[in-house]
Amino acid sequence: MPFKNKPQTFSAAIKPVELGTGDKAITIGGENVLPLYSFDAPIENAPKVGVEISDTMLETAPARLKEFYAGCETMADMAKKAAELPGVSFICLHFESADPNGADTSADDCVAAAKAVSEAVDLPLVIMGCKNNEKDSELFNKVSDALQGKNILVLAAKEETYKAVGASAGLAFNQKVGAESSVDINLAKQLNVLMTQLGVKQDSIVMNVGNAAAGYGFEYVVSTMERVRLAALGQNDTTLQMPIMTPVAAETWGVKEAIASEADMPEWGDVEERGVDMEVVTATAVLAAGSDAVILRHPESIATVSKLISELM
Amino acid sequence: MFTIRFCFENGDPVEASAQEGDNLLEIARRHNVAIDAPCSGNASCGKCRVQLLKGQLKSERTRHITRAEYGAGWRLACVSTVCADADVLVPDIASAYRSRMKIADLGSGEEVAIFEQVVQNIKDAGIEWKNNFTLLNLELTEPTLDDTMPDNERLLRAVRIATGIGTGHIQMAFSALKKLPDSLRAANFKVQCVLERFKEELIIHDVIPAGERATIAGMAVDIGTTTVSALMVDMETGKILAKASTGNGQIRYGADVINRIIESTKTGGRARLQNAIVEETLFPLLEGLCHEARIPYDGVYRICVASNTTMNHLLVGVNSDPIRMEPYIPAFFETRSVKAIDLGIEISSDAKVILAPNVGSYVGGDITAGTLASGIWNRPEFSLFIDLGTNGELVFGNEDFLMTCACSAGPAFEGGDISCGMRATDGAIEACKIDPETLEPELTVVGGPNERPVGICGSGIIDAICQMFLCGIINAKGAFVKECRRIRRDEHGVASYVLAFRDEAGSVRDVEINEVDIDNFIRAKAAIFSGIHIMLASLDFDVSVIENVYVAGGIGSGINMKNAVTIGMLPDIPLEKYHYIGNSSLCGAYAMLLSDAAAKKVVDLSKNMTYMELSTNPAYMDEFVAACFLPHTNEMLFPSVTEELKH
Repeated sequence: MPFKNKPQTFSAAIKPVELGTGDKAITIGGENVLPLYSFDAPIENAPKVGVEISDTMLETAPARLKEFYAGCETMADMAKKAAELPGVSFICLHFESADPNGADTSADDCVAAAKAVSEAVDLPLVIMGCKNNEKDSELFNKVSDALQGKNILVLAAKEETYKAVGASAGLAFNQKVGAESSVDINLAKQLNVLMTQLGVKQDSIVMNVGNAAAGYGFEYVVSTMERVRLAALGQNDTTLQMPIMTPVAAETWGVKEAIASEADMPEWGDVEERGVDMEVVTATAVLAAGSDAVILRHPESIATVSKLISELM
Repeated sequence: MFTIRFCFENGDPVEASAQEGDNLLEIARRHNVAIDAPCSGNASCGKCRVQLLKGQLKSERTRHITRAEYGAGWRLACVSTVCADADVLVPDIASAYRSRMKIADLGSGEEVAIFEQVVQNIKDAGIEWKNNFTLLNLELTEPTLDDTMPDNERLLRAVRIATGIGTGHIQMAFSALKKLPDSLRAANFKVQCVLERFKEELIIHDVIPAGERATIAGMAVDIGTTTVSALMVDMETGKILAKASTGNGQIRYGADVINRIIESTKTGGRARLQNAIVEETLFPLLEGLCHEARIPYDGVYRICVASNTTMNHLLVGVNSDPIRMEPYIPAFFETRSVKAIDLGIEISSDAKVILAPNVGSYVGGDITAGTLASGIWNRPEFSLFIDLGTNGELVFGNEDFLMTCACSAGPAFEGGDISCGMRATDGAIEACKIDPETLEPELTVVGGPNERPVGICGSGIIDAICQMFLCGIINAKGAFVKECRRIRRDEHGVASYVLAFRDEAGSVRDVEINEVDIDNFIRAKAAIFSGIHIMLASLDFDVSVIENVYVAGGIGSGINMKNAVTIGMLPDIPLEKYHYIGNSSLCGAYAMLLSDAAAKKVVDLSKNMTYMELSTNPAYMDEFVAACFLPHTNEMLFPSVTEELKH
């Protein structure tokens, strides 16, 4: 009996969200099929890969990553270098040093760095904070103001900060706002509802439904993403139809598989290889579960994951 | 050794000697000083506030006490230890639960009407309203030198003839025997006997001289985790002779059943908890009821108790620890072997204590008795019975089947876990409205218009949260999103809405409701709603099949159903389907006391109920999180509320 393809398309679709401006602007979301199911219907906007540039990462970076950014003095230098990597569609600036319990870099210094990056590269920008609610709210407010018209994404507003971040980034400065929840479909939905009740438009919201490194409670991440997608497409739940962006690197480069030295764990092999592997496995899994964009750190991971995407599309 | 003096606003101080390092709350408990500590001393509820008047205590400041209050001597008893002599004031707000319980049950004409209607419904359902107690008038032949039969044989012979029991066994209660010679001789051997008649057996409970008032009295009791209510009833006529309620004396060992069970496993704990319920709670109730009804203690011949599984285990002093631990097994569902005397309750010596049967570890006799009262077992259409106590219990079904489950709502409905929460006693805000323009509240306080607000009870919290949500003061997560003169933030950034400022309130501080309270309440309401949703889903039903909802419990008589639906606590079905049936547990106990058929029916009902354990249901957590939103994450479940919010 010949195989008969029965495409499973949905009448609902993920809302497309545009990031950046000009030629290099990208659109994430827009599909009406399950993740990567390009055989059911064409996926107009293939999943995107962004490169994470953290202002602290070189301190602890493994050898080949350090070598890649060799000679870079500023985040702008690094961004220029990263933007040339094939497969990279956006730049994610991760201001880890802004943490008041750490280096406590001022929001103004972060904004200056972000501005320099935006002048140096024309790829869309995503801004990640330091996980301190107060500092992030200040940083997102100032950076949204400084980069008006650049159509950046701030990653992200949380239940505690959505009012401040949504009102500044989303409403006052017309940027895109991330909505970050912790691996639970209901919490994701509740935050989207709160944001839209605040007045942030649905097509200005990108979800980060939470992440973990593969093997670290990762099945919760997968099932949450899958359920979010099925509710959005299958039940036409408009409050869950925002595209999902997952910051993979921020999770995977902190686990022991990525940092335990070869001296401690000789049987595990090359430490950098392991870090790349963790990043690649986690990224491919979240793409398969429903992410529309992933943020990666290592050039080798970026090469692998973007090749995977292009071959599946 | 140091001396700690506990002082009270009204009443004599209690002195206790203590060692350095002794915990103040423990000392108070040892000396029967009632300090409200629903969290059992974990420094989490902030209820055990006391004021240091003189001397010193070693005590950290916690988030429950502001700097100014700390300066004024306010401390949490549970984190205070002895380091010197000290005088501490135990404020009235902490002891309110014992002394000033509102007679929450049958206190108003409205509630009496509800009670009578429910009783009538049970009768209309065909339950025979008859018990096996009778009063028998006898005239005995007086003894002479030729007729030297002892008093008890003389009486037994006469009873045997009068009742026609033939060779059946007759037993005379010891309390009856003790007074027999006097009773017989008081009215020339004319007596009235209180008899309990079985098929082949008969108990003589009492012998009362002819001409004296003889009432066959029984006591119906509802032992709630928080509140205990009781009725003294004439078992011949059904007339309520007296009524009373009080706080459960166990409350200082924890607000919920789990904390009580844990306390009972400590050395001497089981006896302490049994004492707290029997000696400190039931005795005073019995005393008050007997006094009011002018009945002697040995004139009470039966006690009928409806209580949750943990409460009836602790009442009879049986180990309740297995209830708490997987696989959650109680010692008994039903038992007929308890006599009042076994519990140390000295009423008529053969008086039985009838316990309404349990269905599961967390669905107990209060629910089986309440189910009888709700009448849902007698209708073809589907009904839902909800008991909003310290635990929320649900029963769903019709004349063909009944399903039940318990959802751990926590004590929020009865004012626990709420910073200014209190039970529905005098001074509790039981209803409130907030003006959407000025954001000023309009309060209804238990005890009448002249009563000053001291706290807020369950029905008031429902109203307050609903109104704050509708006025846009809080968002759907319960976080504050507006500013006005009544909204303020403490040093930790926790916002609160002041319902009554101190100068308006009779309390030691402002009556307010803060974000933590709202969060606790939202969890409580989510537990109820997700329980309803899962139970119906397990039968492949949705809320549209429900024809009637019977709401019972001590949340306050004036629960506003519309507001309860708006916050997503109860399903969005037409409001006329909701009926408030008051204290159904007490009503069921009353029916069981008066009617043997009712008692039998409750046992039948309990055996036919399917118990569903929610804690092991994989979907529960998900449904619970979805319900932790106002009204619900899935707005489709609340169409009328969604519609209203649009306007």
